[in-house]
Amino acid sequence: MALDIPLMIFIAGLAIASALALQARSKDGEDGTRAMIDSGLVFSVVGLMSSGWTYAIHNSLLDSGESSMCASEGLVQCGSVIGDPEWNNLFGIPWGITGLLSFSLLFFLFLSLRMDMHAKWAESFTTYSLLAGLAGLPFVAFLIFIELTQVEGAPHICPFCTVAHLSLIGFLATAHALRGRKQGGMWA
Amino acid sequence: MAAPKGRDDDVRLTAALVTVGVTSMILMAVMLLAPVVKVGPSEGELAPDFSAQAYSGGGWGDFRLSDLFNKSWVPGGDGDWIMVQYIDTDCPYCWSEGAMMSQLHSQWNQEVTFVTVVVELGIQGHDSSREEVEAFRDKTSYEGCKTNSNCADRPGNPHSWIYIDDLNSRTSGDWELPGTPFAALLQPDGIVAWNPQQPGDHPEGEEMEGALQRLVGGS
Repeated sequence: MALDIPLMIFIAGLAIASALALQARSKDGEDGTRAMIDSGLVFSVVGLMSSGWTYAIHNSLLDSGESSMCASEGLVQCGSVIGDPEWNNLFGIPWGITGLLSFSLLFFLFLSLRMDMHAKWAESFTTYSLLAGLAGLPFVAFLIFIELTQVEGAPHICPFCTVAHLSLIGFLATAHALRGRKQGGMWA
Repeated sequence: MAAPKGRDDDVRLTAALVTVGVTSMILMAVMLLAPVVKVGPSEGELAPDFSAQAYSGGGWGDFRLSDLFNKSWVPGGDGDWIMVQYIDTDCPYCWSEGAMMSQLHSQWNQEVTFVTVVVELGIQGHDSSREEVEAFRDKTSYEGCKTNSNCADRPGNPHSWIYIDDLNSRTSGDWELPGTPFAALLQPDGIVAWNPQQPGDHPEGEEMEGALQRLVGGS
């Protein structure tokens, strides 16, 4: 599958978020903490956008049976994954919507921390962020299992779904690092 | 040195508003790119898609409802309409409807693709199986149709259209199945054109045959 522009933008977002996280690790104190929060924010924004993109693909597949937003042939494609009526939803809710709501929560938690790093609730928000990220992991594992084994013509890899999965994993890593900073007295 | 103090105002409300704003903007962009399609069994909605195993006489194979849809269809254009019928092989009304379905199929099979989805209602004695589905469709000897009748005695002729195995009722929720038998007529593009659960939208007393005459036959 050719790298299309939206996919390149999402991959660039993941790369920026990862670079910020690496940079944050080498910084002590408030600067490092702020950079780590920024990294998590970028991961959650990429997650939000890629979830929205998969939802748009979902709608266009329903509307016309095909989508110009992603390939529907070959190993790396979305048509057989997002277009599979049996697996493209969670209790009737498209996975794109589920992703949008989930990443909204993660974005809110990190944005709150970014806006007031020294608030009384900052420590509990780092814990909530880690727990929310962990809660998403079983869903990511389930969806990877589905696309590799269950969808029509499996295995397939849906690139935009993979971006969303990587966003969650990246967010989880930053949430874990932040909690470590808080508990290790390296927050500020 | 004293620990840094947080802000006096609670930023969480602002963060929540920003989050709602960002999420709303993404949703609006999605709506512009690809508007939401209403999916459901009501008239005017896109019929809920499903994939399942189908029996066509020779054996069982993969089937997906949306493979029958012609998305480029325009009203008045060519394309097969789709009659989706839900039955339970143990339901006496479905048993009786076998004759009418044979008659409708012989009359409309040039314009309409018939699809029968077999579910198993959660009623005592309604135990079905693929063997029973095959026998019901083919009108072959098998004890168990209509609970304790021989499938070979089913009214009507052997059916030549496909029967879908949905004995675990995976599709009945999406189709809001009110019971069996139930049938809906779909336009060639997959939009539900007739649902007997919406009698207010149809000429009084219209049943399946009347709907076919009105919508497919144009009279």
